[in-house]
Amino acid sequence: MLLAKLREAWICLKAGRVTLPYPFAPHDPAEGFRGKITLDPDLCFGCGGCANVCPAGVIVVKDTDQHTRLLEFFWRRCTYCGRCEEVCPEDAITLSQQFETATNAPEDMFMRLEVFMGPCQRCGRCFTPPTPLERMMRTGFRDGNGGRA
Amino acid sequence: MTITQAAATRTVDLVRERVGAGLVAATQPHADTLRLQVDKRSVRAAAGTLADELGARFMITTGIDRRELDGGFGIVHLFSLDREHLFVLLDCAVAADDEHIDSITPVVPGANWAEREFRDSVGVHPEGHPDPRRLLLADDWPDGVWPLRRDVPYNLQPPPAEGMRPPLREPPAGASVVTMGPFFPVLEEPSQWRLFVEGETIVGCDYRGFYNHRGIEKLGEAVLTYNEIPYLAERICGICGFIHSTCYCQAVEKAAGIEVPRRARFIRTIMLEMERVHSHLLWLGIAGHIVGFDTVLMQTWRIREPLMWLSEEISGNRKTYGMNTIGGLRRDIPPDLASKTLNVLAEVERESLAVRDAIVGDGTLMARTKDVGVLTNQTARSVCVVGPPARASGVPIDARVDHPYAAYDEVAVRIAVHQEGDTWARVLVRVEELLESIRLIREALAAMPEGPVLAEIRDEIPPGRVGVSVVEAPRGEAVHMVETGGDNRPYRWRVRAPTYPNLQAMPAMITGAAIADVPITLGSLDPCFSCTERVEAVDVASGCVRVYSRADLLRISRGAGAKP
Repeated sequence: MLLAKLREAWICLKAGRVTLPYPFAPHDPAEGFRGKITLDPDLCFGCGGCANVCPAGVIVVKDTDQHTRLLEFFWRRCTYCGRCEEVCPEDAITLSQQFETATNAPEDMFMRLEVFMGPCQRCGRCFTPPTPLERMMRTGFRDGNGGRA
Repeated sequence: MTITQAAATRTVDLVRERVGAGLVAATQPHADTLRLQVDKRSVRAAAGTLADELGARFMITTGIDRRELDGGFGIVHLFSLDREHLFVLLDCAVAADDEHIDSITPVVPGANWAEREFRDSVGVHPEGHPDPRRLLLADDWPDGVWPLRRDVPYNLQPPPAEGMRPPLREPPAGASVVTMGPFFPVLEEPSQWRLFVEGETIVGCDYRGFYNHRGIEKLGEAVLTYNEIPYLAERICGICGFIHSTCYCQAVEKAAGIEVPRRARFIRTIMLEMERVHSHLLWLGIAGHIVGFDTVLMQTWRIREPLMWLSEEISGNRKTYGMNTIGGLRRDIPPDLASKTLNVLAEVERESLAVRDAIVGDGTLMARTKDVGVLTNQTARSVCVVGPPARASGVPIDARVDHPYAAYDEVAVRIAVHQEGDTWARVLVRVEELLESIRLIREALAAMPEGPVLAEIRDEIPPGRVGVSVVEAPRGEAVHMVETGGDNRPYRWRVRAPTYPNLQAMPAMITGAAIADVPITLGSLDPCFSCTERVEAVDVASGCVRVYSRADLLRISRGAGAKP
């Protein structure tokens, strides 16, 4: 019994202090960590693949007029699974290393991206000017939207 | 002929002999799955034959609303012949205008909750059930609204029923009631135990739980698609997330006949065992905490932490790895992380052994756990307990051996079995499993082949297929059953977490014990209420007496004027 207590004491003493100084010192996550989504607006051509695969339904795509496609990210519901990053054919979405996303204002966790598109003469829907069909054949479009708008 | 094939033939013959024309059809959708379509009047006889004569273990029942397919409901009892590696589905059709079926609980006591659950969710009534109280729906959920029927929308919020009372059981004459919960004092999870006591001694108990409904199964069938569900399945449990996503993916892969690359199966094995290591360390700490021995809590959680960091490096997150997808994995383990894994494991093993040697010699933990909460072998078998509690009561079942999945057919598992059935035996089983898991990860890493980790899927998943999959979670065996449907989503997805059968053994374990032993007895099951209560109802704030109104609660929790 006494020996066991001494052993326990030794385990505790040997471990010493293990608490990290965070938040007084920065604590960087490991490489490959999936944090807050970031967008590169110059790369996005509005295919909407990210909206198709998002399990949490964070991304909403709307065509506001014949020239503008609106991508809204209600990312306070984001589960950081990274599917959008995976299917994005242009690598416009990346999951950053940022994890300190707490806020008092929920509207902070909202992003909105307007993509300038060209209107199709036949269907009236919009697309980005260069080779749209080719681009629409790529990864993002394959999964189907699963019955959701 | 393999053992499985012989068992399937024998099962069909015996059931046909016992129920005659009650056996409508027998098919074998997969090599390890036998589907017996029986007439609903023969279901009790067929279940009794399976359980008593063939020694089958009851797993779970699924209630399926098949009215749009064949005009009725389906009640599917799932049994497992563990030694023969065979799943047996007893599939009964119930006509839509006669929503009754014979209860099998009188012959299979483990089916108690499962039958009450399909009554609550699809509204098929088990006739002759010994305890037909409401189980999973909220107390103010109106009668006659069956959330898992397909014509009920997933976001239905019916007005709270007036005058409904929680279905509580009367204590025996002369006994007083001591309530533990609804916020259980030691586990910080909602579960209400009403203990019937005479003095300090417990003479019986009543359980009211299922406060954690999140409508997960309904969401999977109504909103999400095949490849979105793994991320939801992962959130069934905070500790064994990878287990549920693996189990779901395996069920779909089996139903659709998708071959997972060998490397992916090995990596799944490695991640599953890593979850077992950190879960058992976590449990050991909690057990110490419950008996007031917090040094164990601090030290085991300290030992566990490097594993969490390692998981973050491998998968991108400490928990909810998001690695599984239908057909394999999204992330590979690169060679440098494989060698780092070995280093971390060596350290975890060394430290765990030190802690084990210290606590085994220390009487503190043993004094509070030896001969406490004894689960006899007979009860364990009849209630169909799974996992470490079963193995600590001398029931040698382990899904990794009985129904090999992932790479367990190539990496042999030695299972830890103890006979005593008390809480101390459950501690020992878990410590042995922890060390065994470390060995398994080493073996799997050494044997892991090169190659792709994700199979390319070109065809749509055909509707009308069934897939049953089990995974041995740290707490016991998790079961997922998927029936595929159109619309790129399952027609029915059924989840059974290991705590579901294990909790049903609690009344037998605490009868005759003192109140002070209840927390550690419950703790020794390693219960996970969120897992157990993943089910159907889309829960709204309950209607019981409170200071805040529902509108207040919503306002507070959502924030004024917030976007969806």
